[in-house]
Amino acid sequence: MARGSGNRSRLLLIILLVTSLFLVTLDLRGVSLTKSSRSITQSILAPVQNGVSTVFSPVGRFFSSVKNFGKTKAELDQVKAANNLLKAQLAQAADSKGALAQLKGLLNLAGQGGYKIVPARVIGRGSSASFSQTITIDAGSSDGISVNQTVISQNGLIGVVKTVTSNSAIILLISDPSFKVGVRIARSQSVGVLLGQGNSQYQLELLDPTGTIENGDVLVTNGSQGNRPFVPGVPVGQVSSVDHTNSSLTQTAIVRSYANLNDLGVVSVIISAPSVAPKNPISPTPQPTITVLVTPTPTPSPSLSASPTPTPHKSKA
Amino acid sequence: MFFFFVLFAIQESAVSLIHFPIAGFSLYLAVTIALIAYEDHDGSIIMGFLAGIVLDLSPTSNGPFGQWALILTLVGYVFASNRESIFDATSAPLTFVLLIAFGVSASLIFYLFFGLLLGESNGSIGRDLIVIIGNIIWTIIFTPIFLPLLRAFQKATTASRQSK
Repeated sequence: MARGSGNRSRLLLIILLVTSLFLVTLDLRGVSLTKSSRSITQSILAPVQNGVSTVFSPVGRFFSSVKNFGKTKAELDQVKAANNLLKAQLAQAADSKGALAQLKGLLNLAGQGGYKIVPARVIGRGSSASFSQTITIDAGSSDGISVNQTVISQNGLIGVVKTVTSNSAIILLISDPSFKVGVRIARSQSVGVLLGQGNSQYQLELLDPTGTIENGDVLVTNGSQGNRPFVPGVPVGQVSSVDHTNSSLTQTAIVRSYANLNDLGVVSVIISAPSVAPKNPISPTPQPTITVLVTPTPTPSPSLSASPTPTPHKSKA
Repeated sequence: MFFFFVLFAIQESAVSLIHFPIAGFSLYLAVTIALIAYEDHDGSIIMGFLAGIVLDLSPTSNGPFGQWALILTLVGYVFASNRESIFDATSAPLTFVLLIAFGVSASLIFYLFFGLLLGESNGSIGRDLIVIIGNIIWTIIFTPIFLPLLRAFQKATTASRQSK
């Protein structure tokens, strides 16, 4: 009896394992059924995440505050001083509408400078069980977002759009181990690759064998063909330590991101880059050349024709 | 199955929002392992498979669809094979909490190992160890909170099944 039960269990195990492996094979071969099932789940989950994040985000922030308690205590004095200054400034503000108008003005100013963005709220984060570093935002294809667009926070690059539904999108964060981005050192213009490490520090591998990295070097994105997945000129981070012991041909360094990925509330997706890429040197606009054609004629009164300027109007005496 | 969907929604929309100091906590895995431990021989395997299929639906998952189903089916089989020992552990709360923590960590290690075979990039070994250790710590801390509730739920569903 027990033997029969054991055989049945083994048979059940084999059937379920084969089914699982069949699903894995289908997914790896790119069958849309498995891909679309995740897309449908995201569409269903997004409204739930949206609602829950509104209620639950204070709890999440509480744990974040506990996590950063030591740092917070050290910064408390600075914050108090800044707070006094802000109080004085706040007293001058008429009301929140005035502040909103200022903010709109700032956003317009930012818009004039470069990227066309879609702001979005973070409504979810990737599960710790998946080992991936992602966030979910409440804007999707209906807002103009598509796959492989650059995502920024107020401080710089945070990731790239991984998947999109009509009302939500999943962002692969810069900290994800599979994340790679081409970067440029602002000081030397040397080009390298930044790799996610699964934490708040990233590895920079310089592509130029003659290039050097120095502590404090500022990194910006190098840009991709057609501005996808990365638009050029987005601040990425700062070199915190250079690896001098590495025996490889090119230098490597540890980079600290400008953006705090643990504290993302609102992010922006760059849906179009500026027409003049910041990576290109700004060249002066060429002045138009005026060509004057003079045709000599045998008549005593020579005629002057200038092209393309219109014929001067002769007033009758 | 519906229960797993609800649990999955809670995990993805609420638990994932919490920034835990060390790695994170997977409520979904902890509850699944506890339910697998409560189930009978074949029930453990089937429950592992169903829970894995639902977890595979996660849009943030970087593995292929079916990977979690495979892992949790195997974990279900391991629990089913050691039914007598597991049954003894369920009656001692502290041992049971440790057993769940062990199950969660074993699932994550299996997941990483299988991902490695498929060529997935899951970060450095140090980082993965932190994630696993973090999950063990948070599972040990949080499991005693929801375990009585889960036990009551399991008793109610078992009674409902037997009455049918």
